[in-house]
Amino acid sequence: MTFFYLLMGTAFGFVLSRSGAADYDFIQGMFLFRDLQLYGIIGTAVVLTAPGLWLLKRRARTATGTPLTIETKPFHSGNAVGGLLFGIGWSIAGMCPGPILVNIGEGKLYALAAFAGALAGAALLGLVYPRVQAPLRLPSVAVGAGDG
Amino acid sequence: MHLILNDVEPLHWAVAGAAIAGITLLLLFVSNRRLGISTGFEDICSLALPVPYFRRKAVVSGRVWRLPFLVGLLFGGFLSAVLGGGWSPTWALGIFDDRVGLEPLGKVAWMFAGGLFIGFGTRLAGGCTSGHGIFGLSNMEGSSLVSTISFMVGGILTTQLVYGVLF
Repeated sequence: MTFFYLLMGTAFGFVLSRSGAADYDFIQGMFLFRDLQLYGIIGTAVVLTAPGLWLLKRRARTATGTPLTIETKPFHSGNAVGGLLFGIGWSIAGMCPGPILVNIGEGKLYALAAFAGALAGAALLGLVYPRVQAPLRLPSVAVGAGDG
Repeated sequence: MHLILNDVEPLHWAVAGAAIAGITLLLLFVSNRRLGISTGFEDICSLALPVPYFRRKAVVSGRVWRLPFLVGLLFGGFLSAVLGGGWSPTWALGIFDDRVGLEPLGKVAWMFAGGLFIGFGTRLAGGCTSGHGIFGLSNMEGSSLVSTISFMVGGILTTQLVYGVLF
């Protein structure tokens, strides 16, 4: 299966690279409402994924016949607070998490700094999680804020 | 508008959106995996930082697929450059170069700061554009709707501040 994940990642990375989702100018254009390319991409992806998910959930089996399970993400105050912080970072760097790696692969050297920052930011959350857990009503450490 | 990468013409938005939907569904149908990138940062942290938050089941059990997927993202970007005019290391950053214009060291600091917000914010929100924005919205999850609205608002306000007011 490792090869399958590698292949899916490669396909996803290629599409992100060629779509503008890993491009600083397209990200700023989206947030300035000057270029609607990325709204079209996210909108199309959601509109097509939603019925596909509905069908797969009804089938409830994977391709090999094993049970198909979808773990939904927990709802908590971190969704809004973390979302706002992430949005600020998305605008500053012009990349969201996947495109950070795509940009490194493309040869954009500054993306290495964004990657280092993202790892430091994730590490920081892991360290302070027990302290922000109560004020933000986050799930227990064993569950976490959500995976994806 | 063309890409910063070798001035390549981008894919049509409908084609790119359909491809992303296809990959999302294939990942679930074939391997029962829920698309999501940002937990991959925790997977990497978990290799070096022995704190309880990185020892939880979701992180440890997800490494087997997330780490190869992340390597694939790198390779996908590399392939896109090679097949689209050639790969070469670059500092080019589009309108940032025209309007803000920091030298490489300033760019490194700017990007590291952005990365900090991305890493901390996505992990606090429990997902990013892929896990909340694409999978979560498609699955009609409330937490994904709140997160997606929040990161769009955060991005719009920041870009309006940077390119509408400051530069």
